[in-house]
Order: sequence, then C-alpha cells, then structure tokens
Amino acid sequence: MKAIFALLLIGFSTLSFAVEQAEEIFKQLAPSLYQIRLIDKASGEKSSIGSGFQISSDGLIATNYHVISGFARHPHKYTIEYLDHNGNKAPLSLKSVDVINDLAIVQRDVTKPMPFFHIAQHAPTKGEELYSLGNPHDLGMIVVPGTYNGLKNESFNDRIHFTGSVNSGMSGGPVVNKNTEVVGINVATSGNQIGFLVPHDKLLALYQAYQHQAPENIEQQMATQLMQNQQKLMSTILSSDWQLKQLGRGVIPTIDVPFIRCWGESNSDKTDAQIMAAVANCDLDENTYISGDFFTGSLEMEYRYMESDKIGSTKFYHIFERQLNQVAPGNKAGKDDVTEYQCHHDLVMPSNGNMKNKAVFCTRAYKSFPELYDVLYIAISVDHEQYALLSHFTISGVAQDTSLAFLAKFMESVSWK
Amino acid sequence: MEIIIEEISQGHKLLGRHKFSNTEITIGRGYHNDIIVSDPHVCSEHLQLRFNGEHWLISDLDSVNGSYLEDSKANVVEHQVRSGDIITIGKSQIRLVFPTHPVAASIAISPFESLINLARHPFILALSICLFAVIAGWIINLNNVKEVTLTQMLVPTIGLTLGFVLWPAGIALVSHLTKHEARFWTQVGISFIFFNLMWLSDIFENIVHFNTSSNFSLIWLIAIIPLALAFCLFWLNCYVGFHMSLMRRNLVSLALVVLLFGGSFVIQMSKQPDFNPRPQFNTTIMSPVFLFASSSNIERFVSDSSKLFQQATQVAQESKE
Repeated sequence: MKAIFALLLIGFSTLSFAVEQAEEIFKQLAPSLYQIRLIDKASGEKSSIGSGFQISSDGLIATNYHVISGFARHPHKYTIEYLDHNGNKAPLSLKSVDVINDLAIVQRDVTKPMPFFHIAQHAPTKGEELYSLGNPHDLGMIVVPGTYNGLKNESFNDRIHFTGSVNSGMSGGPVVNKNTEVVGINVATSGNQIGFLVPHDKLLALYQAYQHQAPENIEQQMATQLMQNQQKLMSTILSSDWQLKQLGRGVIPTIDVPFIRCWGESNSDKTDAQIMAAVANCDLDENTYISGDFFTGSLEMEYRYMESDKIGSTKFYHIFERQLNQVAPGNKAGKDDVTEYQCHHDLVMPSNGNMKNKAVFCTRAYKSFPELYDVLYIAISVDHEQYALLSHFTISGVAQDTSLAFLAKFMESVSWK
Repeated sequence: MEIIIEEISQGHKLLGRHKFSNTEITIGRGYHNDIIVSDPHVCSEHLQLRFNGEHWLISDLDSVNGSYLEDSKANVVEHQVRSGDIITIGKSQIRLVFPTHPVAASIAISPFESLINLARHPFILALSICLFAVIAGWIINLNNVKEVTLTQMLVPTIGLTLGFVLWPAGIALVSHLTKHEARFWTQVGISFIFFNLMWLSDIFENIVHFNTSSNFSLIWLIAIIPLALAFCLFWLNCYVGFHMSLMRRNLVSLALVVLLFGGSFVIQMSKQPDFNPRPQFNTTIMSPVFLFASSSNIERFVSDSSKLFQQATQVAQESKE
C-alpha cells in the first residue's frame, strides 16, 4: 500500500514539474508568439486564423502555408495581420512559401530588434518531451506538452509524429524542446492525441533560401515547388520495385514503397451473388493543400476483378460498363483551378499480347501552374466472356513526361496470369 | 347545266357531295329542301339556287343569320355563281362547283404502298410486336443488376410495349378526328417496324463505339442513323394517316424530327454545368463477341494521349486571357 502511494506521489510530482516547466517556457516565449489572421477586405472580418512565431530579430514570422493560403491565391481579396500577446494588431506581408511542407514566412514591421525563436540544430530523440504552442479555436495562446515519436513512416515528405493535442487554430505554432528551440511546426492532427509537425529542417531550409534570395513571385515559387516535388515523387515511384500481385485471374502491380499503402475487399462471403468481385486499391497517404477544395500531389490506383458464371456475357459487360461512368477525379478542384478533362480512348494490347483492354486516358491542365496536370486512366479487359479486370489510376499535379512514363509502365504491368 | 354542291367543314374538309341537274335548288333546315342542313343556325328556308339558262344565281331567303360569300360581309342576293365559290350559311359552309371544274393531277400509288400493306399483314404485325417485346425484355434484364425471373420481366415488358403503341394510336386518332381514315393497324405495323430498326441501330451504334477509338473521326455519321429512321417513320405516319402534298409531308416530318431531337438536345444542354469536374468519354463496353477491331499497342496509346496535354494547356491559356 505504501509503495503504491509513493508511486502516485512520484507521478504527481513529475506532472507538476512538467506543468511548471510549460508555464515557464510560455512566459519566456509569449512576446514572439502571434495569432495570424486573414482579413477579408470586403467584409472587414477575419476569415481564417492560425498561429505563428517570430524567427528573426527583424520581424520574420513563420506560419503554415494553409493559414495564409487565401492570401497567396487571392492577394486582392485578403490582408494578413497579426495579433500579439498584448493585443496589438498590425498588417503582415507575405515573403516566401513552401507549399509542399505547408510553411510560409511573413514579415511584420519592427522598430527595434525583437526577441525571437531559435531553430534547433538537431532533431529530437524519440520519447523527448516537447511543447506545442498555439491559439486553438481563438481561445488564446496555450502550451500543450507532448512527446516526440519519430517521423511518420508512411509519408513521402517528412512529418513528425507528435503525441499531444494539436487543435485547429494552433496550425503554424511552434513546437519547442526544453531549451526553447523550435523542433517542429504544428500542421495537422488525426485526433486522439495524434498530431503531426513539419520538421525544423524544412523551416531552416526555407529561411536560409529566403535570406539568400527572396522569391519574386509567390505563384511562380509554388509552381516550381510543385513541379520539383512531382519530379521527386514520380522518379522515386518509377524507380521503385513494382511488385506483381494476383487478383482473381489477373496480375496487378503494386508499388513497394512505405508511403503507398494498399487495401483490399471482396464479396467472396456472399455465395448467392451474381458476380464475384474483388477490389484492391493503393494510394499515397498524403497530398498537398493549395486552397479550399484544391488538393494536389495525390496518387491512387484501383483494380477491380469481376467474374461470373451465372449471367450472360452481354449482361456481365453491361454491368461492368456502369463502373466506367463512376470515374471521378482524385481532387475537388474547381473551375478557377483547372480546365475540363480531355480524353482519349482506344483498344490496347500490351506488348506481351495476353490482354486486350478498352483504355481511356484523360488529362486536365492547372490554370495557375503551367505544365502541371491531373491525369486519369481507366481500362477494362475485353477478351474473356465471363471475367474481366478493371485497372485504374489517378495522379494529380504531375508533368506530361512523368505521367506518360507512369502510364506506359502501368499498362505493361497489368495482365492475365 | 349541272351543278355540284359540297357540304364542307370549317377546315374545308368534305362532308357530303350532291350533284343536281334541275334548274332550281333549295337549301335549308326544313325537310322539303333539296339539301337538308342540320345546323341550328340555318333557317328552315335559307338559300335558293336558280339557273337562268346562262348562269346559276344564288339568293338568301331572308334568313336570320344570312348567307355570305367567303371573306365577304354582304348577304348574297342574286349572286352569279362561279365554280369554286364557298358560301357560309349559319355555322356551316357549302362549296359550289361546275362539272367543268379542274381537278388535281392523279397521284400514282407509291411503291411504299406495298410495304405499307405488308406492315399491316397480321403475321408481320405480330412478328414485329413480338420482336419489340423480346428486345424490350432483354434490355430490361440487362439493366437490372439482380437476377430477373421471366414473370418479373413480363409486366414491365408489356407495359413498355403498350406505351409504344400509344404513338401509332395517337396518330390514328388524329387522322380520325381530321376526317381521314384512321388505319390504326397500318400505323401500328409501320411504327413497330421502325421501333425495331431503332433498337437495331442502337446496337449497331454500340458496336461501332466499342470497336473504334477516339481517333475515328467519322463517329458523327453514326449519330445520323436514328435521325434518318425517325424521319422515315414520321414520313410514313403522315403518308398513311393524312392526305398531304409531298412537300408538306417532308416539312412536317422534318419539323417533328427537329422538335424531338432538338428538344432533347436543348434539355441536355440546359442541364450542362458551367464546369464539369468529371471526365467525359465514351464508355461503351461489350462482350468480346462484338469485338472485331484490332488493338493498338501501348506506344501508340501513349503517343495519342500525349496530344491531350497540348489541348489542355491551350484551353488553360485561353481561359486565362
């Protein structure tokens, strides 16, 4: 009994120590913390809020790109302003963005050198205590203690897995270690104490690049970043091992990289079903936010095998035909973001000659980012009376050459056993 | 001199025709008249015609509502009849013609007549309706994902077939109402032959779509077939149901085709959103049995697809300007 009591006491004392330390950190850092707000010019009210922190004595403030994305896309519609710990408001100017890592640098006017956050030189160690700062739901600045749990395995662009509550409005706030050095930036949450942070080195790189040369045009900077990222992603995918797996009587490719994950489902438990169907899909577990419903950088592959000895061939293909009508793009980009799709269809046979496909390829161009496209491919095998295989992929934000290279490799990889 | 008196409707359709060789003719509601008109707006003794040895003269007999030469307000008194005169009495009309009145040239019996007679032959009629029902049932079955029993299929099939009978029935009714011969079974026969041809053209269209790629630029030709079939159907409907000149028949059929297809096109266009986020492409997939075309290879497909990027880029640039 005594032992249990002692354990509880220890637990209590470490907890109160953590709280004290958090309070100390907060007091020290409060003057360099800001709420970042996007003000709609027409209505004069704030349309979105986030957090930010000063990273230089001359007034550079780091935040998330998605906090100020409205301004980056429509500079005439919004203004950006900050609210400091004393309740002062003043306008900010946008200096540089990293759309891939969801970072942005804005600047306030300063009259004299100000205190600022130092960016860490090293990544934290697993299990290290970290403190996330921010202004959740406009409730005022708070500090949330949590733990560093390494980098998220399944992401192509590094994200820190942080065990602690990151809430909306804290986006763009810093996450510091005990020495008050910035090790990450709040960016996303999947609820239940699972938060994601952008690692400090991404911010450091953006800051150094900005000091070296400030970008002339934010839209151009974004276009370059999107282009480079798709190049990096697609060349990784194209040079990775494509594993051939069996689906029904078909052979389908999956890509053996941790950031593409696959799922499967079938109706084999329903013995009375007219058509036996098995579905496998693989997707990239992340995408790049540009604005509103416009996400890019996603990749999705889907395979659908159907077989039936209970219905006639004509009806079988008639039912399959409907699945083609359900094709939809991977993102919800609108009229201002993209053109309408242009499509090409044909009967195609891969070089091994063992499968005949009715194949469709469609693409649409991004209006603001030249030479970037969304592409979509769907094919149905049409060479067997009672079974068929649908193969499909969509990629958003790719260049012509990489998407066509992917198309050719994908088409060659789908075949019959 | 003989005279022919025609009772005609407001639309100048012939209701009755009488030929007289006597020199005096009376028209009215009374039973003692030579022509007895049942129109209550006509007087018992209404109109009198008299041959004076040289001309026919027509006079109103002080009737309540008068007798007027068409397009004239003046009551006819001792009016000298010209062949083709139309006279309004009450709410009825009569037309006066002399035996020398010219008639339109004879219309030769068209070669369609034999086809039309074949269409109403009971065997052909039954065959085309049965064929229609079988195809309708088959399509209902195709569109149903679940298993369909014969009895489940029977009701919608009969319903659909009866629904399609409404078209020839409607035309027969209109021709009956306009004092033409109804010829219901002929209309049914012709209509069902064309309905079946339309099913077939639909299947043909699907096969062509299935076998061709978007490189095939003559695909619009296929879309003309149903238009042509519809035109032929309407043309024959008019030919069977109404007496009209060739020119008029062509015009009416053309107008119906434009109304039907143009109307559905306009409805489709009005539903078209300003921006369509979904890709639009031909989705025709059929059983391998219907696959006749040879396949392209992947290089060809990729190089064809690469042309789309230029098109999309162009659209993006145009929308920016």
